[in-house]
Amino acid sequence: MTDGIKRRDFLKVVGAGSAGATLTGCSTEQVERLIPYVVPPEDITPGVATWYTTVCDGCSAQCGMWVRTREGRVVKLEGNPEHPVSGGALCSRGHASLQHLYNPDRYTGPMIREDGELRPATWEEAEDLLAQEIQSAGGNVLFIGGHMGPSMNRLVSDFLGAVGGNRVQYEAISDAPLRAAAQMAFGHDVLPRYDIEHAGFLMSFGDDFIESGASPVAYQRQYARMASADDHGAKGKFVFVGPRLSLTGQNADEWIPIRPGGEAALALGMANVIAAGGGNAGPYASVLAAYDVGTAAQMSGVSESTIRDLADRFVSEGPGLALGPGVGGHHRNATGAHLAALILNAVAGSVGRTVHLEGGPRSASAPYADMEAAIGAMADEQVGVVMVHGTNPAYSLPTVSGFNDAFTSVGFKVSFSSAPDETSAMADLILPDRHFLESWGDSMPMDGVMALRQPVMQAVPYFDSKQAGDVLLSVAARNGANLGAATFYDFLRAQHQASHEPAMGDFESAWRRTLKTGVAMHAGAMETGAAAALRPLDSAITFDAPSFDGDGDFVLLVHPSPRFGAGELSNSPWMLELPDPVSKITWHSWLEMHPHAAEARGIREGDIVTVASDQGSVDVPVWLYPGIREDAVALAMGGGHTDFGRWATGNGVNAMDLLPAVTEQPSGAMVTVATTVTVSPTGERRRLATPEGSDDQHDRPIAPAVALADLGHEDESHEEGGHGELQELQGGGGFLPVPAEGGAPEAFPLEGARYGEYATAHEGPRWAMAIDLDKCTGCSACVTACQAENNVPWVGEEQVLMGREMHWMRIERYYEHVDATEASHLDVRFLPMLCQHCGNAPCEPVCPVFATYHTPEGVNAQVYNRCVGTRYCANNCPYKVRVFNWYRYTDENVPEPMNWQWNPDVTVRTNGVMEKCSFCMQRIREAENQAALEEGRPVRDGEIVPACEQSCPAEAIVFGNVRDPESRVSQVVANERTYRVLDELINTQPAVNYLKKVTFHEVQSGGHE
Amino acid sequence: MATSTATERGALTHPDVEQLSDVNRDVLKILSKPGKGWWILFLIASAGVGMFLGSWAWQVYRGIGVSGLNAPVGWGVYITTFVFWVGIAHSGTLISAILFLFRAPWRQSIYRAAEAMTVFAVMTAGLFPLIHVGRLWHAYWLIPYPNSRFLWPNFKSPLVWDVFAVTTYFTVSAVFFYLGTVPDIAAARDGSKGLRKKLYSVISLGWRGTDRQWHHFGKAYIFLAALATPLVLSVHSVVSWDFAMAIVPGWHATIFAPYFVAGAIFSGVAMVITLTVVMRKVFGLEAYLTTKHYDAMAKLCLLTSLIVLYAYLSEFFMAWYSGEEIERTAFWNRLFGDYWWATWIMLTCNGLVPIMLWFKRIRHSIPALFVISIFINIGMWFERYVIVVTSLHHEFEPWAWGIYRPSLTEMGIMVGSFAWFGFWFLLFTRLLPPVAIAELKEVLPPPMRKRTKEAHS
Repeated sequence: MTDGIKRRDFLKVVGAGSAGATLTGCSTEQVERLIPYVVPPEDITPGVATWYTTVCDGCSAQCGMWVRTREGRVVKLEGNPEHPVSGGALCSRGHASLQHLYNPDRYTGPMIREDGELRPATWEEAEDLLAQEIQSAGGNVLFIGGHMGPSMNRLVSDFLGAVGGNRVQYEAISDAPLRAAAQMAFGHDVLPRYDIEHAGFLMSFGDDFIESGASPVAYQRQYARMASADDHGAKGKFVFVGPRLSLTGQNADEWIPIRPGGEAALALGMANVIAAGGGNAGPYASVLAAYDVGTAAQMSGVSESTIRDLADRFVSEGPGLALGPGVGGHHRNATGAHLAALILNAVAGSVGRTVHLEGGPRSASAPYADMEAAIGAMADEQVGVVMVHGTNPAYSLPTVSGFNDAFTSVGFKVSFSSAPDETSAMADLILPDRHFLESWGDSMPMDGVMALRQPVMQAVPYFDSKQAGDVLLSVAARNGANLGAATFYDFLRAQHQASHEPAMGDFESAWRRTLKTGVAMHAGAMETGAAAALRPLDSAITFDAPSFDGDGDFVLLVHPSPRFGAGELSNSPWMLELPDPVSKITWHSWLEMHPHAAEARGIREGDIVTVASDQGSVDVPVWLYPGIREDAVALAMGGGHTDFGRWATGNGVNAMDLLPAVTEQPSGAMVTVATTVTVSPTGERRRLATPEGSDDQHDRPIAPAVALADLGHEDESHEEGGHGELQELQGGGGFLPVPAEGGAPEAFPLEGARYGEYATAHEGPRWAMAIDLDKCTGCSACVTACQAENNVPWVGEEQVLMGREMHWMRIERYYEHVDATEASHLDVRFLPMLCQHCGNAPCEPVCPVFATYHTPEGVNAQVYNRCVGTRYCANNCPYKVRVFNWYRYTDENVPEPMNWQWNPDVTVRTNGVMEKCSFCMQRIREAENQAALEEGRPVRDGEIVPACEQSCPAEAIVFGNVRDPESRVSQVVANERTYRVLDELINTQPAVNYLKKVTFHEVQSGGHE
Repeated sequence: MATSTATERGALTHPDVEQLSDVNRDVLKILSKPGKGWWILFLIASAGVGMFLGSWAWQVYRGIGVSGLNAPVGWGVYITTFVFWVGIAHSGTLISAILFLFRAPWRQSIYRAAEAMTVFAVMTAGLFPLIHVGRLWHAYWLIPYPNSRFLWPNFKSPLVWDVFAVTTYFTVSAVFFYLGTVPDIAAARDGSKGLRKKLYSVISLGWRGTDRQWHHFGKAYIFLAALATPLVLSVHSVVSWDFAMAIVPGWHATIFAPYFVAGAIFSGVAMVITLTVVMRKVFGLEAYLTTKHYDAMAKLCLLTSLIVLYAYLSEFFMAWYSGEEIERTAFWNRLFGDYWWATWIMLTCNGLVPIMLWFKRIRHSIPALFVISIFINIGMWFERYVIVVTSLHHEFEPWAWGIYRPSLTEMGIMVGSFAWFGFWFLLFTRLLPPVAIAELKEVLPPPMRKRTKEAHS
């Protein structure tokens, strides 16, 4: 054995080899040691989520939030159930604000502009520079700020008091006209609080309270409670008045497609009728006298009979509630229209019943007029230093407002923006603020309700940010001013300590309690005062239809986007890929146009048209929408950013390029419905990036409805066709028994069924869901919640165009009756579609490798590791809820640190595998484990809440165990409205039960018009 | 010239072939020196194979997203082409096995090419399930093999049936093909030198043409033919169940198995016509492939065309007769929806064009048959496209309807698959006798002494 390897030689070789390997390993890369928690933080258990409370800053509604963190990173935002605004829900934009925390485009630290270029600086250097510039400006400071909490508000005032200067509050979306109208009508400078929940006859004169406005989540919850049929078959009615159906409008039972600006005349005409019938017009009797039905009909374009009918029902089906034009409907006489709606409420006796002047939302209502003055001051070089915080006027003001030129002319410009925006692009000094999830703060969303904001994670280390409050304190100190605190945290505490009410116990424990629960209710909060009486009109106001600039064919309706607001959330891929709740278009901008108007001009859907006003023009593709008047076109805010991060920049068009810089009188709000436009085809076309296949149900029982009058009747004739027939056939044998509608829910899967047998022998729960379509508003909060919870990637515009969007949940929207030419009933159906977890799932038998199978708990499970990607399951899924990873979307689309958001409880999927809704299996297990480990008991009904249910502001979704007859889901399902999509046709035995929408008009058999 | 007996026996045989030795000469000539035509075709095919493998490699590297597939249409050109090639594979076995059992004398001169076509078509078809899966590297999970995870494939899934059907079919048809060539390989061995001789010596398995060998050969051949015959029907039935077992409107139909089998024979025979017309021209086999052969094949095409057309019409009828709205819409959409053109191509090529085959003049015109066979090939590809794509793109949920546009990569792979097939087929024509020497000789007049012959005449 001379040629064999000896044991000793072998060991030598191995030893040398591994040493070499070690050496080369060291030489090429720096060694990074993974050090486990040496001293573990007390509140972090690896693998267990830690929850904090804070306050959402996505819009001025200031919803209370619960923040889920894992190992020190925020992974999900949820509504705080104890907070009176959010009530446990959260809207899409609230969810998406998380993406701005991890926005990869955020500034990496303070920046100073030198020779036209921004260069990184230290905080020391930056603050020194600011202090010095303020000093040399001699107190000539202008502070432009967005909405902020009371303490920050106070700090800014103190700061400006110390260093000298003025401030302007500016927000792109403002409620100023409503506030002005309330002041005129009742002498209260507040936003009224609408009690939508207890209204019987709700009329919105353009208020889009579901998707934008003062408090979308709270109002939506109230609306859903009011508008859904209760056990007694009672249901509030909602009439929408406006030139375009917003998402709110699509939810209405009737639509009065009024010409833009005709709302005031209609409201006053109705008030006139009500006053004539015994309503108390008070000091407005003389005003109303001028609006007899004939005049009102002439001014509004609504027929006399309709006005009388509406007026009658406003009282008889009441309590009535009229909402003035919303933030998307500010025309030149918006205050007048709001005042008209308030008068209508007052005359009908709704003030004190459904309209309250106490406890209203404290949303921002800064008049644009102040901003106009500030622009003038800047242009006149009266400003030494301008500081911009929490707002982006360079983008959200009309391009012709002159803001950019005026701003540029200021000697020293400071931006507190944490990520690049159009305003910070012009700034000389950038002091990146912390994201609200990294900040201290407070909020007062309504009178008597105070909520604290706390940093829920360490500031994302990629970005060297500092809270603006701390910067102000530090700069003030540098200039010798003592504002009473060294840090903003101290300042905040001091503020609250000063206003602390001894009745709430000692301050320290009250503070801690507030941090824990997220909200403190002060005495008198949410209380309702006496009905306020109308005051005589003491200033000039017109109720006439407003004028519009230009002589174009169409009035341009510019409205806040349900996804981006006024553009603050445009750099969130979640929001970009979320189909717009109205148009269902993702990513790019579109112009809404009525099909008739388009046809008359030879314009087809997808044609790129030039929309031109006197102020400018934009090229944008057309989307044909039957829910807009033929004499109007609509454009949403939020597109066309020029400098706002990688996803927003250059995407879509900015409606502000078309608007004149006009203020509404007397409120001073910016007018967004101001001009007419011409629309001319460019000859180019594009496909719209929409997941919508067809907006017509094609007579299929997908989203059937039932007429209110038919509720509670055993008469089968109004149920979907074919049902009785099928049962007859089954009586003859041969068919599987299909459960009767509203039948015993625990019968799933059916005894003796040949399929779905996995579950029959199982003693445990059978998970199921109920979705009440009478409550669903189509807001799509569930879609984003699901995306956040389940690590659902976004795919980008190009992939959406190919039909590859990945959402596990989608909102289908079918038109049944939409008529933009005359006042009539409206029927738009929303259907949240997710995996139906069929008891007899078509996807399961076709998978060749058992990658999808039925769990004993009735869940249709998908095993990602086992999937080879034949896509047979998706082909065979009648609901088309399975989505496929065509590329490595999770790797390729998600830059650092956005991937910090991944939920560690959910696998991140690679390319080539199928995925779909899992009923939030991880949440089921978490709840079960928690119950078992901590209290040694089985999970209770209601403890398992999937992300969609958790987020739903309309409370339309209920999840639970249908084997338990006492569970909420069993209770809800035991309803005559219950149906299962396509179940009667293909016997899939879904676990997702829908409750039919209830309509006021008659529904033909099959659930259609 | 030929004896009356010979004429009787070889009613479909070749007037130009006078002697058995001519067969050897003419067929083995093909194997010797390739002509210009062969080289041009081979270069084109090789380039196509490069495109095929390149596109596939790109897809594996980048992800299946390089195809145009999407959410409602999870199967597209790949599965279309898979079914197409499985269909093509059919007629080879039909011609060699079924017609052998039925003693149809016209099969002799075409069956070798048809069998080779079968083998290569199955080889091509078998790649497509691999091409279309999202994770190629895990595709072996479809094969039942004992493993530490105790995981088996799902025997309920038609895709697993496919694995069995296609692999079985490939095995049997390859063995059948090889077995039939053994005597001819021996003939080639005897006439070749050098490397070829070595190769042929090995693969001819020591064939010497002894009585005993012929006896065993005949037995084995007939057994294999009997074994292969049910496969002709089963494979495409199983493939059809990929669709029929699903609930997709337009797929879920009991007619699918016979309909697919008839379609497969239809397309397969058309492909045999296409291939042999080229072979005939390139290799000068006019004497062996006569209008009589083509006439017979054309008649088979005509018959299967009528069956297929009947199936189309009965599908439409059943959709209407069912009264089921979704089914009706699916078939209405097939004719007048987004993919109307594919349906009309299918109906024209498979139903209308073959009507011409009623005419004897056309059946006897080889150029006409060649053109018609191309139409049928196109039509049958589109038939599968119609079934796969139009059914999927408009299913139950109107909201989820969508449009599928094949991508360049997909088209590259689809076109490349023809090159891949052609590549092997061209190699075959150069390596193995593309016309069955031994069997042809059976139908030729036996060699007789001239004198005797003259005396008789």
